[in-house]
Amino acid sequence: MALDQRRLEKARKPGFGLGLLKGMGVTLKHLFKHNTVIQYPDEKQDLSPRTRGVIALKEENCTVCMLCARECPDWCIYIDSHKEQLPPKRQGGRPRKRNVLDRFAIDYALCMYCGICVEVCPYDALFWSREFEYAEYDIRELTHEKERLSDWMESVLPPPPLEIGAEYPGSPTRAPETPPAGAAARGTAASTPAADDAGGTEEQPGAPVAPLGGGGRTPDAGAAKPPMPDVGPVPGEQAAATPGRDGATGREETSAGEEAPRGQAPGGDGTTEAPAGAPPGATATPPDATATPPDATATRPGDDDPPPESTGEARADVKPPDATATPPDAAATPPDATATPPGDDDPPPESTGEARADVAPTMTSPEGGGPAPEEIASLRETPGPNVEVPHETPQPTALTPTEDPDEVYAQVLKEQQAKGSSPQVAEARAKVARVKAERGIARGPAPSPGEEEGG
Amino acid sequence: MAMTTEGPRRAAREGGAQGRLQTEEMILNVGPQHPATHGVFRLLATIDGEILINAEPVIGYMHRGYEKLVEQRDYRQITNLVSRMDWLSGINNELPLALAVEQLMEIEVPPRAQYLRVILCEMNRILNHLMFFASFGAELGAITPTFYAFREREDIQRVMEATTGGRMHFGFFRPGGLKEDVPRGFVDDALQGVRQVIERLPDYEDLLVGNEIFKQRTIDVGVLDKEAAYSYGVTGPIARGSGADMDVRRDEPYLVYDQFDFDVCSAPNGDCFDRFWVLVREVGESARIVEQAIEGLPPGPIMGKVPRVVQAPAGEVYVRTENPLGELGMYLVSDGDRRPYRLKIRTPSYNNVSALSHVLANTYVSDMIAILGSFFFVLGDIDR
Amino acid sequence: MFDITLATWQILVIKVLVILTVVPVGALVGGYAEHKVMAHLQHRLGPMYPGGWHGWATTLADGIKFLLKEDIIPAAADRKVFSFAPAAIMVPIIMIYLVIPIDRNLVIEDLDVGLFYLLAIGSLSTIGLLMAGWSSANKYALIGALRSAAQLIAYELPIVLAAAVVAMLAGSLSLIDIVEAQNFPFALWPPGIGFVAFLLFTVGAVAEMTRVPFDMPVAESEIITGPFTEYSGMRYIFSHMFAEMGHMVAFGGIAATLFLGGYKPIIPLRILEYIPGVFWFFGKTMFMIFLFLWIRPTFPRVREDQLQKFAWKFLIPVGLVLILATGAWVLYV
Repeated sequence: MALDQRRLEKARKPGFGLGLLKGMGVTLKHLFKHNTVIQYPDEKQDLSPRTRGVIALKEENCTVCMLCARECPDWCIYIDSHKEQLPPKRQGGRPRKRNVLDRFAIDYALCMYCGICVEVCPYDALFWSREFEYAEYDIRELTHEKERLSDWMESVLPPPPLEIGAEYPGSPTRAPETPPAGAAARGTAASTPAADDAGGTEEQPGAPVAPLGGGGRTPDAGAAKPPMPDVGPVPGEQAAATPGRDGATGREETSAGEEAPRGQAPGGDGTTEAPAGAPPGATATPPDATATPPDATATRPGDDDPPPESTGEARADVKPPDATATPPDAAATPPDATATPPGDDDPPPESTGEARADVAPTMTSPEGGGPAPEEIASLRETPGPNVEVPHETPQPTALTPTEDPDEVYAQVLKEQQAKGSSPQVAEARAKVARVKAERGIARGPAPSPGEEEGG
Repeated sequence: MAMTTEGPRRAAREGGAQGRLQTEEMILNVGPQHPATHGVFRLLATIDGEILINAEPVIGYMHRGYEKLVEQRDYRQITNLVSRMDWLSGINNELPLALAVEQLMEIEVPPRAQYLRVILCEMNRILNHLMFFASFGAELGAITPTFYAFREREDIQRVMEATTGGRMHFGFFRPGGLKEDVPRGFVDDALQGVRQVIERLPDYEDLLVGNEIFKQRTIDVGVLDKEAAYSYGVTGPIARGSGADMDVRRDEPYLVYDQFDFDVCSAPNGDCFDRFWVLVREVGESARIVEQAIEGLPPGPIMGKVPRVVQAPAGEVYVRTENPLGELGMYLVSDGDRRPYRLKIRTPSYNNVSALSHVLANTYVSDMIAILGSFFFVLGDIDR
Repeated sequence: MFDITLATWQILVIKVLVILTVVPVGALVGGYAEHKVMAHLQHRLGPMYPGGWHGWATTLADGIKFLLKEDIIPAAADRKVFSFAPAAIMVPIIMIYLVIPIDRNLVIEDLDVGLFYLLAIGSLSTIGLLMAGWSSANKYALIGALRSAAQLIAYELPIVLAAAVVAMLAGSLSLIDIVEAQNFPFALWPPGIGFVAFLLFTVGAVAEMTRVPFDMPVAESEIITGPFTEYSGMRYIFSHMFAEMGHMVAFGGIAATLFLGGYKPIIPLRILEYIPGVFWFFGKTMFMIFLFLWIRPTFPRVREDQLQKFAWKFLIPVGLVLILATGAWVLYV
């Protein structure tokens, strides 16, 4: 590089002492600068929620599937269990078996803090906490048993919201269009860049950087497209609880956990192996339903252990097609109430895979050096159905109720009883529906365009 | 400033005015525990007074048997192991592994994942180079750049920690993309961190590059000529400091590097000063790449279509990437299992260090320290 | 007032006590200053705990710590020489304090040949360094000792030449006379000569103390601590820490006396003369110490041969030219 060569040659020339003085000036400048030293242990750094400090165990969720112990590269997780027989659920059924956890220990002297166990746990029983001050004098004390691991749960933080442009699993934030509509969308998108600039940039208050993907992205341009279905309540606590981030301001966003899967959702179209023999939907519920029916209506996710939402997402991980249909609601409610609408709704995530394949048809292999700029541009125009894109108009948190909550309660209760759910389940679902009606949140994605959802 | 040992050596041989002066050569063991060698590195030095006649590097003190370890682990576990090789550029170690598996399995990585990979790798490059900036100064006796550089590293490391959870060992890449998407604020923080480094770097450069004492210590010291660099297989900033114009990111682009505008900086003289110069310039170039990548960051998924159990089909592939220290290559032979049949890792520091005995012949003892400092190597990378 | 007449021996005892108090306290304060000033230059805080408020008792704590350490003498070492070396290093430094005037009437002993005494005694510690390195039975220590011997001999000359300039200008070797002969502006007069002499002296002083950038003998990252590698406990403190800090304070005082006007106010205003000379003296000494401390984190180490070249081929010729110029000045001005 010509410019650098010249500078290099100039730098190599002797400076006769001037460089020394300049250096002294630099150090003197620092003498008068404000010091940024954090004086540990009196002051502590505010670590991020993802910081890998210690692994916490939520015992209730553990089904002793042993996946964590198997996947650990150091084999530092020690699990003991035994099977118990439980009485049958209904009269005349067969006795149920349950795994009971006897011992769950993580040997932190061996642990390399890779997080594979946390990532792989299908039932969200392991979480990262950012505590790191547990040094011991005796190495045997570094093997944390079940009780100590459960104590660490108090320090677990909810996962931070993801960056703009990240894809969340779950219901489509926008109904995926068939290719002709997609072309029309791109056409209309091109014609309304100005409006979206305003909409795009106001999504990031105070962001010094250009809005990602340019302002020209109009996911909802075009009258033919349905309005965005609700993606669920903005967990206010989560916005408050996520440390230091102010992103969740008045936007509806899925409180997606980062445990959410990536390609495993679209992998549902056949390339995935059947996830551990769990058929979609139905058996996803028992662990959560038994755990939280009374809490279901206390839809303050922050009250319970931090990520019940991500329970939903992790279950979504295991059973892609249906359970991912609705995000955080699914955590609070057994998914059935909202599971049926996705059934008749716009395509389950399988076809999102295809739709996305349509949208970005020529993602090149790594050898080719990456996708061409045109593909990236087209991806930006139509980023895919599950991608969080800035709304044109941010959705407010507090919404006006559209239906009478008590009526909704009674109605849902009747529906559930008609379907044959147990009384606790019916009540729980009815309560949730009532709360949703109070807050004006739709109880499911829009079944058809044009129907006003109040959100 | 040219270092000549001819005068003193001739005097020692011929004995000066008094006739024959008997001198003996001393064998000095530099390391394995020594502040100047970056780790457990031993240099068997034969010294005649202040002159180093011959230096033989002895490695292996940190051999952990990586290539055997990985034969018993699947790819996600290997990702976490492999980032401990060159621990200063953790995420760059994970990259060729992910690329190799993706090539074998023919997985398409979504663009967002590729852009994010580039951002993370380049930020790690900045971290690595700042670390060597710090240690080079410290070895020469300039203790202040250490603290300044570490403070700059903090900004970027905080971003890495918020994203991946770790400050040094990240374990973030997976075959097919990334483990998870980046948290909110990543874009702002990354951009700010990188821009801050670029803003303050000229100041710190003045402390060293502009300093006459530093120039005296490093110009024409430890010259590695281009042919020797080629023949020893030296790559990375050391080779570029010797005038070799090689950079895997530009010559055989992987990820999305072909879409970024960056310069490959090389310097012709091959001495310590040039190597350091290349190091500092590369920080600037990495920052440019990060800025461009952030501006062009597309939305979308960050994981391609990957089966639940990652099994590479039978086959073999060699992938090379530009590790901050040089060319890191992984030769993956798979027999269709979840675990590799053989993973041979070609690390940059191993080859870089092999050129040491060539460079260290007939230098001063203090120059040895300067040269060791300018041959940016990490022991974990050499020994694996 | 009281009429105190003291016998000679009583005065002697007091003087000795004063020195033995001032030197360690000076070294302590100098050490603390080094920690904190260097830390702030490096954008960090330095010690904050010992003593509570910003770690003022750091060096005190260090001293106590070293008192409690085990005294190790390597088996292959020459015991007598090994034990004696710290004394050989420390005592000359203590003796330097004898002649430095703090105020017009405050000096331990105002020798007529004060300057000469200073330079002569000050160069004695070289042999102590050699003794330490040689007797340690350690290759690294040997390298350090040889380097230090070469360096200290080389850099004596710039100091001597600069001091000679001052003596010529003042017309006396007594330090008090030298201070009295100085007028504002101190280091800048005579034009050209004064400042160059000051620089020469400073550079020589930094090298004499084996401080960065001339700390090849104790290059930490190369040969650990040079001649003092094998020392531990109180021996280490005496030969390394105390010596270096004591030396720094001493040279600060000497430079203040020779070039900056000693106990005279900076600007010759009547109002400033009400402030006792002690404050001026210590202020100037601290300025010099700050200069030494400022240089340390900023520069890398100069290589041994470059060090020698710098001294013999640059500094000493400059010093000689300076003497010629001073002679001309004195004769014709």
